Amino acid sequence: MNSFLRKNFIVIIAFAVMAAFLIAAAQGMEKKDFVITLLRGLAVGSITFLVASGFSLIFGLLDVLNLAHGTLFMIGAYIGWTVVVRPDTFVDLLTPLALIASGFALGDVYPLLASRIRLGSSMRRILPWALILVSLLIFWRILPRYPIAIWDVENYGQSPVTFAFMADSGTRLPVLPAAFTEVTMSSALIGLLLASIVIAFGISLFDTSPRTVKLTWKNFIWFAVALIVAIVGVVFNNAMTDYLFGLNSNWLFFVAVVVATLSGVVLGGLMEATLIRPLYSRPIYQLMLTLGMSAIGIEMVRAIWGRPEFVMSKPEFFNGGGEACPATNFADWWANHCSTILFLDGRVRVYNEIFIPLVGLVVLVSIWILLQRTRLGMIIRAGVQDREMVEALGINIRRVFTMVFALGVGLAALGGVLAAPSSGLSNAMGESLFLNALIALAIGGLTNYPGAALGSVIVGMIQQFIIKYGQIGIPIPFTDIVFKPTPPLVPASTVMLMVIILLILPNGLLGKKE
Amino acid sequence: MEYILDVQNIQTFIGQYHILQGVNVRVPKGSIVALLGRNGAGKTTTLKSIIGLTAPREGKVIFNGQEVNGMRSFDISSMGIGFVPEHRAIFRDLSVEENLKIAERKKGDYLRKKDFIFELFPDLKRLISLPGTSLSGGQQQMLAIARALVPDNQLLLIDEPSEGLAPVIIESMMAAIRELAKESTVVLVEQNFLVASKLAEYYVIIEEGRSVQDGNMKDLVADKAAIHRYLGAA
Repeated sequence: MNSFLRKNFIVIIAFAVMAAFLIAAAQGMEKKDFVITLLRGLAVGSITFLVASGFSLIFGLLDVLNLAHGTLFMIGAYIGWTVVVRPDTFVDLLTPLALIASGFALGDVYPLLASRIRLGSSMRRILPWALILVSLLIFWRILPRYPIAIWDVENYGQSPVTFAFMADSGTRLPVLPAAFTEVTMSSALIGLLLASIVIAFGISLFDTSPRTVKLTWKNFIWFAVALIVAIVGVVFNNAMTDYLFGLNSNWLFFVAVVVATLSGVVLGGLMEATLIRPLYSRPIYQLMLTLGMSAIGIEMVRAIWGRPEFVMSKPEFFNGGGEACPATNFADWWANHCSTILFLDGRVRVYNEIFIPLVGLVVLVSIWILLQRTRLGMIIRAGVQDREMVEALGINIRRVFTMVFALGVGLAALGGVLAAPSSGLSNAMGESLFLNALIALAIGGLTNYPGAALGSVIVGMIQQFIIKYGQIGIPIPFTDIVFKPTPPLVPASTVMLMVIILLILPNGLLGKKE
Repeated sequence: MEYILDVQNIQTFIGQYHILQGVNVRVPKGSIVALLGRNGAGKTTTLKSIIGLTAPREGKVIFNGQEVNGMRSFDISSMGIGFVPEHRAIFRDLSVEENLKIAERKKGDYLRKKDFIFELFPDLKRLISLPGTSLSGGQQQMLAIARALVPDNQLLLIDEPSEGLAPVIIESMMAAIRELAKESTVVLVEQNFLVASKLAEYYVIIEEGRSVQDGNMKDLVADKAAIHRYLGAA
């Protein structure tokens, strides 16, 4: 016990100081304000945590500082919002995306195919590029002609703003039936499938290292899944669109969360496998690449969704109103699904201040279980320390890299879609949150998972308390002056705290000494 | 003689440095072969080149009749090669048991081999739930070897097993290596010539990235001149 105290002396002092601050903060405001500010801090902290934890998992195992993480958070939000506002677009996109992915799902088959082809060395060098070129031509020919019910940023009547307005007011535009006019359906589908296989084969030819591949049915399972999704997407296109349009906002929100998270997972997996992987021996290039991806991501969002800001409507479950609201106790709330609950005479917003922290907690615990109780988690923890040794044990660490990157981006996308109903969507939402997440990680310990949670909560709390004190003011003792922190102090305060903590504890609060 | 491993004239670069400039190692099945040589001669790099961690640019590595050079490290390892690296590389954040479990290649490997491993290294049984870092140097070395024993490996590459260990512990380590050599073939890198000469049946001397002499360990022990020239030992 004594040695524990001695070892963690500074950390204990740091926690004591924070507790003292919290108690001091409680003295200056009413109890209801204190509780609500605390809950808001938790809410902001939870969203920050979703971004920070993914970033920290990726950095810990892969040594990749993914500067695009904030942008991916934003993309998650926009994708989720799109599913809520235009489910038909999402359904229309299902088939082409599944077909494009299908070729890559055959990854293990290509080395076998390549070993059968006998070619001269110059042909071997040209072939991959030729294959990629051919497939790109097919994509270029088919994709613009593939019927997808999409909006038009340039045309106000068809713009996302209009659709958003319609969706908010509950009247959705009639769905344009998707029809194949410029290309026939069969040629579009087969063309996409072939192009996907050709491009995946072409890319696989760049990896010339010999591999032992034994083909089993497992190598084809993802290909089959992709094909089934594509076929279901095209056959039941209208039925699925109608179904999604008929869903109530709770289920639609649920679908949006799932779709956004999965999109993040797929996007992350693709990013690692195609862009990050070739650059592991050049970390600086990797850093530049993620920075560039971030900029490209923001521009893409501007091109697809335009510049206006949106608010995603909250699901009915958290958005009730009427005479019975605000609810005074939980049973009351359950009956009316009020958007707020009265707690100590203060109004607590259920979605923002209860639901989001709960999801944050669930994610915290699930990832913790994944890391501590599963074989994958064991490999991740081992890989953080010594990748070479893990690989020398016969474990395909690259596959684990892809999984972790996908998981990290998935978490960011989940954070984005959860934040969309509470803080809204904008082109800049990623950047400010990403900065928060980085500060949280610096405070908590860069590659320490509980540290990510702790740092995020601290950052959220400090910001919310300063915002609150900006409204009520802090009376300076022995004077008549009431100090009101101005809004610029909100981000500045967390940076200041980070600087102080890093000066005393260079590895953050829970980070281990290297 | 049947060779389980045949390393033919490998050339390995690390960055722009030409580390191995022609190393040949032949390992008869069921034997213990020691790679000898001074510090920095390229012994560790030879082991790493065999398992693919530093892939040789030229030459061949043939394991069980199959050419493995150029393959990814995890593929080579999965064919049945265990690697015990120089500084043990025990995973800090994993318990002793997890350090063993992570080496499973098939589900249940650990449960199957558990008794054999704990018979060989009784100390580990007692430490099973401790974190990997709380072990002493000798215990870490035992754990590193035990980890290589979890899957069915036909070949074990062990780098400097006696480094930094007390003489008493070296004795028990040697006993353990002799015991496990009954089950599989061992390639050993060893600075301590006394240890190497007691354990190995064959030797290969590596000097400045080249294999310069090989043969029967008994002959080398008698050849004081060669020992002095290549190993600097009396």
